[in-house]
Amino acid sequence: METEIGPAVIARRLTKTYGRRVAVDGIDFEVEPGICFGFLGPNGAGKTTTMKMIYGLATVDGGELTVLGLDAARERREIKSRIGVVPQETNLDGDLTVRENLLQQARYFGVDSAKAAERTGELVEFALLADRADERIHALSGGMKRRLLISRALIGDPELVVLDEPTTGLDPQARLAVWGALDRLRRRGVTLLLTTHYMEEAERLCDRLVIMDEGRIVTDGKPPDLVRYHVGREVLELRLDEGCDAERLVGSLDGRIQGHDLSERTLMLYADDAESLLAGLDHDSFPTESALVRRATLEDVFLRLTGRSLRE
Amino acid sequence: MAMLEEPGYAGIGPRIPLREMIPVPRFAAAIWLRNFRVFSKLWRGALLPTFLDPFLYLLALGFGLGTYVAHINGIPYKDFIAPGLIASAAMWSSAFETTYNVYFRMNELRLYDNVLSTPVEVQDLVAGDLAWSASRATVYGVVVLVVVALFGLISSPWAILIPPFVVLGGLCFSVIGYTFTTLIPKIDLYSYFFTLGITPMFLFSGIFFPFNQLPDWVGVVAWFMPLYHLVEITRGLATGPELWSIVGNSAWLLVLSALLFTIPVRALRKKLVA
Repeated sequence: METEIGPAVIARRLTKTYGRRVAVDGIDFEVEPGICFGFLGPNGAGKTTTMKMIYGLATVDGGELTVLGLDAARERREIKSRIGVVPQETNLDGDLTVRENLLQQARYFGVDSAKAAERTGELVEFALLADRADERIHALSGGMKRRLLISRALIGDPELVVLDEPTTGLDPQARLAVWGALDRLRRRGVTLLLTTHYMEEAERLCDRLVIMDEGRIVTDGKPPDLVRYHVGREVLELRLDEGCDAERLVGSLDGRIQGHDLSERTLMLYADDAESLLAGLDHDSFPTESALVRRATLEDVFLRLTGRSLRE
Repeated sequence: MAMLEEPGYAGIGPRIPLREMIPVPRFAAAIWLRNFRVFSKLWRGALLPTFLDPFLYLLALGFGLGTYVAHINGIPYKDFIAPGLIASAAMWSSAFETTYNVYFRMNELRLYDNVLSTPVEVQDLVAGDLAWSASRATVYGVVVLVVVALFGLISSPWAILIPPFVVLGGLCFSVIGYTFTTLIPKIDLYSYFFTLGITPMFLFSGIFFPFNQLPDWVGVVAWFMPLYHLVEITRGLATGPELWSIVGNSAWLLVLSALLFTIPVRALRKKLVA
């Protein structure tokens, strides 16, 4: 293609404060069009606030935010007409049926009624809810409501869809169905922006992602690159015996590991070849209860960068 | 602390430029249509008490008390109170719609979070909700008008012009209720709104007794009540109107509605788009 399409979202020193609390602390990122871009981070990291600034439910306090080439601080209505939003909390209209929810959303977007009827027909199919189109919302399961929320976000034919924790609280089958819907969307060329707590979800869906903590971006990149860079290929997970001195053990491996983490009595050793690391271990000096060799994942990256302590 | 206060309660909020105050009709209409759609599913159950309410007042006051109080200002007592009941039906409808119903849509169903993430902006949302509440008030007012007309309590053909003025009165009551809803931090405060606002207005706006035999200050206090002005209009049209009285009372309702409109827009902007 010859036509050049600019980034879907550009944030420069983007800042948001609530009273004295800095929710988003001068972050920079750029989302290429047509990709799935993820925001990861513990609770309170600033992900939802960043999303809300993009879709117009939070004002920009500092820095710049450009969405689809428009200034988020001034052209809110225009931006909102070109994006779709899947919120964290289910806020479907409980007094209306599945079909009426979609038709009503079309009215909010100013879609004319012929087109609204046509799109509603397509979107009940997309949500796999064609046989329940005339049922009230409370008759739907959690997974069905999620799929309907995603369909509802598409009623205005958006170029960008923002999803805040799209699969939180769903069972594995319902999650697969949502992932399927997001795959279909991406194949249509829609840019996806999502937040998630699930690392496998991020690894599976996101072309690029950022990890946020305390309002800042701590790292960004493609999921496999992030794993390679921060952790390595593999992890040797050792459950240490009472008498085992973790510090001496790590010291004895100097140069053969890329890093380590100790939490309670579990020692994570990051290496490109964990199998041979295990084979060369001096089991007499460093007694272990169990040892596990596994592939490094995004979860390791996440916990390395944001710590293992509880966030509340 | 967080138990009683609604999350996001924020007070009136900063000033907004005038151009961001003016609703876009197309988007306000989308809000109106949503409310109409839901009402059209529920109206049968909702309207029945509206038929019964004026009937009960007429029975107790018109036929009961009216046996002792035969005439007021030369009008039979039943005919005196009937037009006021049209106005008060509109007030009660607006008061419930813009308090409990709006509160429920906003804070329980969280519908406004969705609405505001579409091209609809706060001023469109408020205008659509108010227009709906005024329409609903008019339905209730017209039901009462029909009931009292069937009882033969309307003596002037000008009464046919009552509905558009009920729209205006309904709008004024709705702005007041909506303003209250967007400013209160918790739902418990509605009991004050009804006990100290709506009920006294119902009793002391000249529906049940006129002010001309009472001390002057009673009339002065009544002048500050929106219901008084709507009652003046409906009674005028039902018994034989005076043009300038209708113009003056309508202007009062219109000016108050316009002045108050900015407050819920600012408060909701602060609360939902912080």
